[in-house]
Amino acid sequence: MEKVFTIKLAGPAGLGIKSGGQLLSQILIAHGFSVHDYNEYPSLVRGGHNTYQVTFTTGELFAPHHTVDLFFSITPGHWQQHLKEFTPNTLIAADEKVAAAPTTGHLESVPLKDMSIEVGTVIVTNTICVGLAAFLFHLDPEICHAQITQQFGKNAEMNIKAFDAGWVYAQKHLSAYLQSVNPPKGVANRKLVDGNEAYGWGFIQGGGNFYSAYPMTPATGALHFLAAKQQEYKLHVVHAEDEIGVASIASGAAFAGARAAVGTSGGGFALMNETISYCGVTEIGMVFYLVSRPGPATGLPTYTSQGDLLYAINSGHGEFPKIVLAPSSQLESFEFSALSLDLAAAYQLPVLVVSDKFLAESAVSLEDLSQKKVTPLSVEVVKEGDGHFKRYALTPTGVSPVALPGTKGAEFIANSYEHDEYGYSAEDSETTVAQLEKRHRKLDSAKPNLPKAVLHGSPKATKLIVCWGSVAGPVLEALRLLPAGHPYAALVVRTVWPIDPEIEALTKNYPEIITVENNQTAQLTTVLRSQINFHPTRVITKFDGRPFYPEELIKEFT
Amino acid sequence: MTTIAELRTPHAPTWCPGCDDFLLLAGLQQALAASAIPTEKTVIVYDIGCAGNMADFVHTYAVHSLHGRSIAVAMGIKLFRPDLTVIVIGGDGGIYGEGLNHLVAAARANSDIKVFVSNNYLYSLTTGQTSPTTPKGAKTKSTPLGVTNEPLVASRFIPAINDQVWVQKVSAKNIAELNGEIKEALNHQGFALLDVDENCVSFGKQLR
Repeated sequence: MEKVFTIKLAGPAGLGIKSGGQLLSQILIAHGFSVHDYNEYPSLVRGGHNTYQVTFTTGELFAPHHTVDLFFSITPGHWQQHLKEFTPNTLIAADEKVAAAPTTGHLESVPLKDMSIEVGTVIVTNTICVGLAAFLFHLDPEICHAQITQQFGKNAEMNIKAFDAGWVYAQKHLSAYLQSVNPPKGVANRKLVDGNEAYGWGFIQGGGNFYSAYPMTPATGALHFLAAKQQEYKLHVVHAEDEIGVASIASGAAFAGARAAVGTSGGGFALMNETISYCGVTEIGMVFYLVSRPGPATGLPTYTSQGDLLYAINSGHGEFPKIVLAPSSQLESFEFSALSLDLAAAYQLPVLVVSDKFLAESAVSLEDLSQKKVTPLSVEVVKEGDGHFKRYALTPTGVSPVALPGTKGAEFIANSYEHDEYGYSAEDSETTVAQLEKRHRKLDSAKPNLPKAVLHGSPKATKLIVCWGSVAGPVLEALRLLPAGHPYAALVVRTVWPIDPEIEALTKNYPEIITVENNQTAQLTTVLRSQINFHPTRVITKFDGRPFYPEELIKEFT
Repeated sequence: MTTIAELRTPHAPTWCPGCDDFLLLAGLQQALAASAIPTEKTVIVYDIGCAGNMADFVHTYAVHSLHGRSIAVAMGIKLFRPDLTVIVIGGDGGIYGEGLNHLVAAARANSDIKVFVSNNYLYSLTTGQTSPTTPKGAKTKSTPLGVTNEPLVASRFIPAINDQVWVQKVSAKNIAELNGEIKEALNHQGFALLDVDENCVSFGKQLR
């Protein structure tokens, strides 16, 4: 099996920890490596303790690793809280004279600040680290220079100088730590993309044309991405006054024919709840992109959590159909973004796409999504009416004809009150029941188009891991690393509402079922128990704001 | 040209006899009929409240939205479809209370929507509690000891947000003037708000 390496940069906010890590990733991708990044940062703009790690290998990779091979403490004092990530072979390059060395690993004092001042400015410290790493991992300096030029534009020259300074220093002082790795041959045409950008590309390729949001970590990346693309792709991107306005504005656009989505995290999602209910009864199809972080309330704003699943499923007052999709990778963030727009348009209901900080803000090597086309579901709209348009006609599928403003003779009310087939308010019991049942039928009609749960692993497996969303990455990575012949398979649930009854058949024959969730109360486990015969023998949860690492799951599984 | 008959629906208004909302409805239908705007190009977004119940009585494209959200929904429609004429009908509770943040946003943006506020100084569909425009000191069901807040006056605070927008106040009782102002609001390019001074025949006694 190909060896997996991890390089981690740590230091205060404002010194380019993230941009240095991204540069390193882009360089590795340009060499043909597979990359999985992960970053941690506190909710502040300057100072604090920021980390960016790049896990990479020549083969397949599903998640970042916990164990670090090369660690950079860009300013003094940023390595001590990472002792558990070090092995006897870890090189810790720290810009300090250290009295007490770490018990595990080799600490080398590297005068990063002095070197950066010699180059011209402390803000190139990160690029010096990239130069050091490039030497130790036998990277091609020409490819590195090309990536630096691409990333830094007018500042490229100084950064190339910084890169070279790091390279030369490592050559002179650190060659004892040269790693044994052969960069793959041939440059793959892959890009570094995080879950939010992947979601944004899916929105664009899926024909999305109206996105509104209010900044909230960790969903803000999607807003930034789409706002920057609005002219090129003719999108309406609106930063509205609050999340209630965000959702209401998008619902208006969707009524008027837009393929609309809103993006937020838990707190903003709470404000949008009335709109979810309103979309349910008015049958205005729109997408809610919910990128979770740990609550309650402001919680841990820049960390990860799967703690909003039940809230998402139960969002909005009253009873109405909704679809909740949970992408389990950055690529699925792309796919489900496009699919959610289709489902919202075709079935005229709220569609939620539930991601989290780990998935949305972690970057990976992926095919170029700007070139990845998807075919939208075709949705028919009425071309002309007779002045008595039944927007809420009772149909066997529950899906009624749609007309857009501007269509002669098809005027109707999109009504938040219970209403008759025309949209006029109604309170009688027959109409109420008929409309509730009609709307509910849409879930059955949508079912063939909902992503099925995916089973990974051998048919001979006796132990089944059940997970959803971002946890799938570490679970699949753990299975990949377990010794051959291990008894595990993994089921990744991708449509978390409505629950596909077939999951019962997929799970019932395993003597052992282990659910793994990045929340406190095992929320998918609760949902599955409520919907099908489902009896896990073990539940593993983690709710400290950090994702699972494959190494800790392997410990749990062996 | 649209006729007033074409703007009617099979549903007769459900307001209390003598409600000033009848006058706003009649004025709006007349103005729409007299205008060159085809019904299919007209979208009316209704708030929740007595005035919002007009939704069932006018035959155009319409959204009967949520309490306070009519302006935000209307802004979304207008942003995506500038070709449409977008009108908002709401009360003082929805527009100046629950939806105040959206009103401020629409005025700042000079969003090209026409807002008609049926301002009767009370929450009337919920049987008569204080609203943001209730005069100071008035005793209502939710303020039996008297209102202690200063009332919001749209014609004063909206121009302070953006002096490019059109804001007028008119009494529903002065029908000729009301109809004239409705037409003027519809013809205005940019954000327009007509504050229609009304009296609640059922719960307005509290204010006198």
